[in-house]
Parts: sequence; C-alpha cells; structure tokens
Amino acid sequence: MIAVKGLHKHYKKTVAVNDLSFEVRPGVVTGFLGPNGSGKSTTMRLMLGLDHGEGETTFDGERFTDIRRPMNKVGTLLEAKPFHPTRSARNHLKMLAAANGITDARIDEVLETVGLGAVKRKQPKSYSLGMAQRLGLAQALLGDPPVLLLDEPTNGLDPHGIHWMRDLLKKLAAEGRTVFVSSHLLSEMQLMADELVVIGRGQMIFNGDVDDFVREFTQSTVIVRSPAADAFLSALEAEGATVAKGDDGELVVSNMAIGAVGHLAFTEGIELAELSSRSASLEEAFMSATGAAEQFVAREPVLATTTGGAQHA
Amino acid sequence: MLDALRFEWTRLRTLRSTYWMVGSGLVASAAIPLTLGIAAGEEPLNADSVNLGLNGGASFVIPFLAVFMAVIGIFATGHEYRHGTIQPTLTALPQRSRLILAKILTMTALTAAVTLVSIAINATLMLAFWGGAPGLFDDPVRSALLGYVAYNVIYTLVGLGLGLLFRGVPSALVVIFLMPLIIETLFVGLTMVPALDWLAPVVRFLPFTAGSELMLTSAAEFGPAAPDYGFFDRWASGGVFAVFAALIIGVAWTQFNRRDA
Repeated sequence: MIAVKGLHKHYKKTVAVNDLSFEVRPGVVTGFLGPNGSGKSTTMRLMLGLDHGEGETTFDGERFTDIRRPMNKVGTLLEAKPFHPTRSARNHLKMLAAANGITDARIDEVLETVGLGAVKRKQPKSYSLGMAQRLGLAQALLGDPPVLLLDEPTNGLDPHGIHWMRDLLKKLAAEGRTVFVSSHLLSEMQLMADELVVIGRGQMIFNGDVDDFVREFTQSTVIVRSPAADAFLSALEAEGATVAKGDDGELVVSNMAIGAVGHLAFTEGIELAELSSRSASLEEAFMSATGAAEQFVAREPVLATTTGGAQHA
Repeated sequence: MLDALRFEWTRLRTLRSTYWMVGSGLVASAAIPLTLGIAAGEEPLNADSVNLGLNGGASFVIPFLAVFMAVIGIFATGHEYRHGTIQPTLTALPQRSRLILAKILTMTALTAAVTLVSIAINATLMLAFWGGAPGLFDDPVRSALLGYVAYNVIYTLVGLGLGLLFRGVPSALVVIFLMPLIIETLFVGLTMVPALDWLAPVVRFLPFTAGSELMLTSAAEFGPAAPDYGFFDRWASGGVFAVFAALIIGVAWTQFNRRDA
C-alpha cells in the first residue's frame, strides 16, 4: 500500500504539485495519468524523496528514505537510460544490488526475466531505448519488491514489448503487489489499469476506478440506423434526447438510455436497421478531464499560402 | 553503512576509468625514478632525491598520482550527474549523508592504498638503479612520505567535493587544474613584484601551495626574488589544505542534502 498525503512542490512562482493525496492499493494496477508537464514525474520523485517538497509518502507504513535496503521493498523505474555508458548491464545491477544485499543469482534471474540475458555483459551505450527500459525494469524487479513505482515503462518498447510489459505488470499485481505506473499510452492503460490517479497542473482530477473515470468524464451514446432517420430524429428530440447525425447518416443519441430509444422506435412504428450503444474510451475521458489542465498547447500549423511561402515552391 | 561502502566499492571497481586512472597515475609516478635512474643512476642519493624518486616528482614538479586520483574523486560524484545515475543510486541507497560518507571513506582508502603501492613501485625502481633508498624509514623522508599520502588523499577529496558541488565533471576538472597550476602559481609570482610583496603572508594560506609543504624534505625553493613566505610546519600546512578540502566538501554535502537529486 502506498499512502500519499499532501504532496506539494513549487519552483519559485510555479506550483508543480499542489496538495496531492491518494492511496495506491495492492493487488491492482493503478495508472497515473496527466498531460505533459502536469507533475507526474515530479510527484513520483517527491514520493521517493529525490525531490524536496511538502507532504509525506509511506510505503507499507515507512517513508522511502527510512527504508533499509529499499530495493527489497520498493522497485522503481523513473528515467530512461540512467546508466553509466561503459558499465555493463550486469555490473550496473551488481552495483545497486551491493547496497541491498541482493545475490548475483538474482541479478542473472531478473536479466533473463526482462529478456536481456544474452546481452547482460554489453555496455548500455549500445542499447536501444526499449532495451534500456527493460534494464530499468530489471532494476525495479531486482529486490523482488512488493511495491513497484514505474514512470512511463512502455516508452520505446515495440508492440511485443508493450504486450509483454502489460502482462507482466498485471501478473505482478495479481500476486498481491502494489503497482503504480504512469503512461501516455492510454489504450494500454485502459487494458492494464484497474484504478487511476489523474492529475492536471499538479492537482488531483480523479482518483478511483477506470470505469468510473470514463463514466464521469464522458457520455455513453446510442447509435441508431433507420430508413426513417429524419422522422425518428424529430421524435427523439421531442422526448428530450440530444441527437447528432454521423458521417454515414446514423443518429448518435445522447441523454437517453438504449432501452428508451428502442421503446420509442416501437411506439412510433419506426423500422430500425441498427440499435447499439457506444461507450467512450479512456482516451476520450482523459481528453475531456484534462483538456482545461493542459499546460503545453500546440497551435495549428500556419499554411504556407498564408505566409507567401508557396511562392518559393 | 556497510551496504553503502559495498555499493561505492562495487561502483568504483566496475568502471573502466578507475583502472585507467590508477594505472596512468602509477606509470606517470614511476616514470620519475626511472628517468632519474637512467640519467643519474651513478650519482649519490640524498634525502631530497630519495623523496623525489619515491613520490614520483610530486614534491618538485606536478603531483601526477594526486591529479589522477583527484579525477577519480571527481568521477565519484560528477559521473552520478553526468550520466544520470544519481537517480538509481538514491533509490538503491536513499540515505544521502551515508552515501557521501561512503564515497569519502572509499576514495580515502583507495587513494592511500594506491599511493602506498606507488611508493613501493618507485622504491623497487630506486633499488634497481641505486641498490637502495637511504633514509627511507628515517626522518625527514619518512615524514615526507606520510605527508605525501596525506596530500594525495586531501587532493582527491577536493576533487570529490568539487564534483559534488558542481554536479558534473567539466567544471570540477577546470577548477582542480586551474587553481594549483595557474591561480596559485600566478599569486606566488605576484608576491615577487616589489610593489605587491605585501601579498606574501597570504601564500601560506593558499591551499595547494600549503599542501605541498606536506611532502617536502627541505624548504621549498621559489627563486631568488621570492620573499619569505613564513610557511607553517609540515602538518599545520597540511591542515590548511585539509581545511580547504573540508570547506568544499562541507558546502557540497550541505547542498547535496538540500537540493533535488
């Protein structure tokens, strides 16, 4: 169990993390979401005492900096490629293991687990980003810890690697471990996470179940296809539903349950070709929840013709 | 604390640069008695020449071994930031003061051991050329050699402190070379200008110049134009150098505990 209470961090006038409190339960994967610059990495660093700020984080009741041999209790992966370029992967883990009473046999075991057994004596400077992430995960798993804290572990992984990471994290959570993982891959998070902590501009936006998050920040809609779509549209609006027409002529109905839509079609004598419900994705919920909290907003590209650039073509 | 020492020792011995620096320092230091032996192997030895041969020219020209060990000291802290390993280091060993203490103790032990090995290598070379090293176990050579060990350790710790203070390698390297070789040499030179001779009493407080007093078997020669600098005795001068190292490490240590990693 991770308990975070009142985490706060500011840089001069900028508040990076604002009074964050939440709990991460064992036995489930808890996703940590937020737009770029929302304070996810800073929060994780504050939790581990790498950055100084206000508030307290305990891991099964202990502050990280008070834990003797912490790799046996909390496994972490924070940055890509935090390795000395000429120290072999095995020696990198050996160095960290030396501070935590971990055996050489365990080092070889985790390197095999993450698929780096064949290259364990190579220098990390020759590693791809995906291989470096695997080494980072090996580092996190080194002490076989009951708590895992992973910042963007799927960065740089290929689709097979992402699939493997998802299965591994779900398996680790199923073993009763506490898994707290941030990711920008929302489709992956939807498949992997059971619970969510969502922040924006350093503030808590949502903490709870993934399904609750999607429900709270999006609307489920009903899709209707009918030869008498126009007539049915009027009937639906008369009953208070909000209706939009899709690209293929289908009606997208919100503010009315699928059963009520079907019943209305029956009572109005309207033939239906399709009646289905459509749930919003985690991505849609995320966009809806964090849109106002986005810190770095890209502008629409300026067309060359408006600047006269096309004349040079 | 034992875990922290194990960590630091493993960190040191799994870096190729450690072996290169130690090897280079030993070779550079051994080159002095070798050169002396080839060029002047027939001439009799006195305390100054025995000392010079054993400390690899440290008391006369450049303290080769100290410089190479100081670079390892800079790497001990500077590399953590240069390569971003400070983050895994602090998640493996989050007690910051324990980590710094382990780095200081490990570098002190390594530097002292390497210096003793260097003295042994140089003594062997002198034995080969002159058939012995007269006065090796008697003062003033004995005290000068103990001072040489202390000098190298303090020099290394200055490097470690600078690497931690600047949180990187290049700035620390610039300071560790610039300060003794240019700034202090320039300052000593200025005292020889008659209009600036009032600067002379400050020279005994210049850390690297004062530290050099640790390794001497006779008074340092600065040339005929040099005023009397009134240096403290060997160990008090070493104290000046040690206070300088302690100040650098103290500031760096305090900053390390306060700053974000």
